[in-house]
Amino acid sequence: MEYVNLLTGFRVDGRRPNEMRQLKGEVGVVARADGSALFEMGNTRVIAAVYGPREVQNKGQQVNSKEALVRCEYRMADFSTGDRRRKPKGDRRSTEISLVIRQTMEASILTHLMPRSQIDIFVQVLQADAGTRAACINAATLALADAGIPMRDIVTSCSAGYLCSTPLLDLNYIEDSAGGPDVTVGILAKMDKVTLLQVTKYHELLLIAASFRTPLVLSSIHTNSITTILHTMCSLVKHFSCHLYPEGHCFL
Amino acid sequence: MSAAATTGTYSPAAAAGEKRRERKEELRRHLAEDADWPRADGRSFHDCRPAFMQTGPTTAASGSAYAEFGKTKVIVSVFGPRESKKAMMYSDIGRLNCNVSYTTFATPIRGQFAFSFQGTDNKEYSAMLHKTLEGAVMLHTFPKTTVDVFALVLESGGSDLPIIISCASLALADAGIMMYDLVTSVSVSCFGKNIIIDPTSDEEAWQDGSLLVAYMPARKEITQLTLTGEWSDGKITNAVELCMDACSKLCDILRELLKDASSLAE
Amino acid sequence: MVGLSVGEKHFIRGGIAQDLRADGRRRLQFRAISVETGVIPQANGSARVRLGATEVIASVKAELGKPSILHPDKGKVSIFVDCSPTAAPMFEGRGSEEFSAELSVALQRCLLGGKSGAGAAIDLSSLIVVDGKVCWDLYIDGLVVSSDGNLLDALAAAIKVALSDTGIPKVNVSLSAATDEEPEVDVSDEEFLQFDTSSVPVIVTLTKVGKHYIVDATSEEESQMSSAVSVSVNRHGQICGLTKRGGAGLDPSVVFDMISVAKHVGQQFISVLDSEIAAAEAAE
Repeated sequence: MEYVNLLTGFRVDGRRPNEMRQLKGEVGVVARADGSALFEMGNTRVIAAVYGPREVQNKGQQVNSKEALVRCEYRMADFSTGDRRRKPKGDRRSTEISLVIRQTMEASILTHLMPRSQIDIFVQVLQADAGTRAACINAATLALADAGIPMRDIVTSCSAGYLCSTPLLDLNYIEDSAGGPDVTVGILAKMDKVTLLQVTKYHELLLIAASFRTPLVLSSIHTNSITTILHTMCSLVKHFSCHLYPEGHCFL
Repeated sequence: MSAAATTGTYSPAAAAGEKRRERKEELRRHLAEDADWPRADGRSFHDCRPAFMQTGPTTAASGSAYAEFGKTKVIVSVFGPRESKKAMMYSDIGRLNCNVSYTTFATPIRGQFAFSFQGTDNKEYSAMLHKTLEGAVMLHTFPKTTVDVFALVLESGGSDLPIIISCASLALADAGIMMYDLVTSVSVSCFGKNIIIDPTSDEEAWQDGSLLVAYMPARKEITQLTLTGEWSDGKITNAVELCMDACSKLCDILRELLKDASSLAE
Repeated sequence: MVGLSVGEKHFIRGGIAQDLRADGRRRLQFRAISVETGVIPQANGSARVRLGATEVIASVKAELGKPSILHPDKGKVSIFVDCSPTAAPMFEGRGSEEFSAELSVALQRCLLGGKSGAGAAIDLSSLIVVDGKVCWDLYIDGLVVSSDGNLLDALAAAIKVALSDTGIPKVNVSLSAATDEEPEVDVSDEEFLQFDTSSVPVIVTLTKVGKHYIVDATSEEESQMSSAVSVSVNRHGQICGLTKRGGAGLDPSVVFDMISVAKHVGQQFISVLDSEIAAAEAAE
């Protein structure tokens, strides 16, 4: 199948290879949570809610009492995918993504400021159209910021793939299921550090070793552009939190 | 049996389906007549099935009871009060743990409840049993401990849940667990204008609606009430009153039974 | 769960006794409701309902299936509810299963009618494509996103709105000579059929706190309840289902009184919901 039009260079949904899908974010969507956010990347739509910092619920899980315990659960709604299927909770894929999100967020949260406490991040996928990993991380960042949790920096994430000899940014479902290699990158934008790098179909990437740098670079460049968007949103959040905490948790 | 003939092999599910459809037609014909027809087992609309109940079938349990209403056979064992599991949080009132399970041979098609409905029907009944009994048991009399109520349906012949409830309260009384009153339960099915009490599984399969009442006659309190299908106000009142009346009568029988059992023990 | 001090409990109970609740509502007054349709484009119909801080999403998906042996002239409808951990940390992991199952059972009881199909919210025979061969299986999924009490009423309302938003593709069946063979089915992706949702009931939960009962209780108010009765009422004032929660027993006369109050409140709620649906459809 032709994923990139040879003449015009446009992709199946009319985007250019280095163009992101429409982004939309909203904070404070779950009234009862300490922080929450809705994040949309095209048709992918996720909700993240943060509860905490609060007392550690299960003392057995606490490894280091000098740092906050960060926990994460990723869940997909039954109706989130095209063909409806009831999946058992806590299947391998969800467990893996939960772990990825937890590790990525933990790297950015200033856990040493909140000893003997616990932060829960819950991510619910409402609609899956590829790139849920990246969308979840972006949503979780916004929710953490909304909850006023001190962080080193804003984590932003985006995926990129390689199809028809072209590196493509922010794959949609059709492109994602085409079977090409893809990478998901998460960066601490201001500090310019990579906190997440996941590659699937690595062997195919090796085959096109020459292009290895391309999707990767593309992805990290454009996570920067998400960063700018997130920053504008976060400045709103900051504005809001400045009212709440006059001394301010200056994490931006 | 054309379905079985064409497939070449005997399939109990298909055959049962065919047979049940025939019975449904018969049931519908009766309804059209709109009179108090005798039901398949010869009862009239407001007659319960002949019941047999007994306490103490399982000796290992603190209390137990067996109930047989027509084809429905239920056995309930009560254990405890005993120490709650370690993982449980501290509680200054007791816990009631209810579990309802079906034997694999309880239904005409083997394992119908145990497999295809696993996780829904049994859990649903377990939750219903718990909700019904928790209002009747004096939980504050056994703090920090748990009472386990295990119900096993040996044969399912309709009105399973109400029989489980009545049988469980008899077993609780047998175990000497403090209760405000015995809870008895009766369900009715509705067919068009008619209300029939204590339906069999056939009648339940074709009912237009059902109503279940669990009642404590001495306190005149309804501890559980569920309803499905479309009902008008007046019909609900009639059905609930019919159930309450039957519950009171059933409760008297249970009380006599317990008295007999204790006098026999002396 | 909700942690309340003795003073707060007293305040809530006192407010209910005086017909002025903590958020200024009267006993039989609902919170402001907001309705949005078409929130899940992948589904045949979907809706989001917000009732105060409670937020639920319902989606309806239709798939072609085979009717059951016992009911060859009827389609199938199944209802599942899931509580997202975003709504409350206690729904994490398997923590939501028991509560989700309770909600699912209550909704099934209120919306699917009797075993014969009488009193069902959706006319099951309208889902049949070929008698005994092909029918539509409707999967109704509810998701609790944010929880502040009265989830059952919100879910039932969301399902009602989602059903009114649902379009079932028109199906053309090519009649083959041999009746035993599986009929060929051509699903249209342009023409859709709408449901008649006028008979879909709403659920009104009356929560008993002290001597009085209230509608649309918040989490704080629910923590103070002795028992609650959920009644499903349709437009014609018929009762389509009833479930009771909470351990405490109720006097029969109180139950009958609650049913008649629920019927009255239900009628008002249906008309509010209908105007919201019309507004949501106009906005689309």
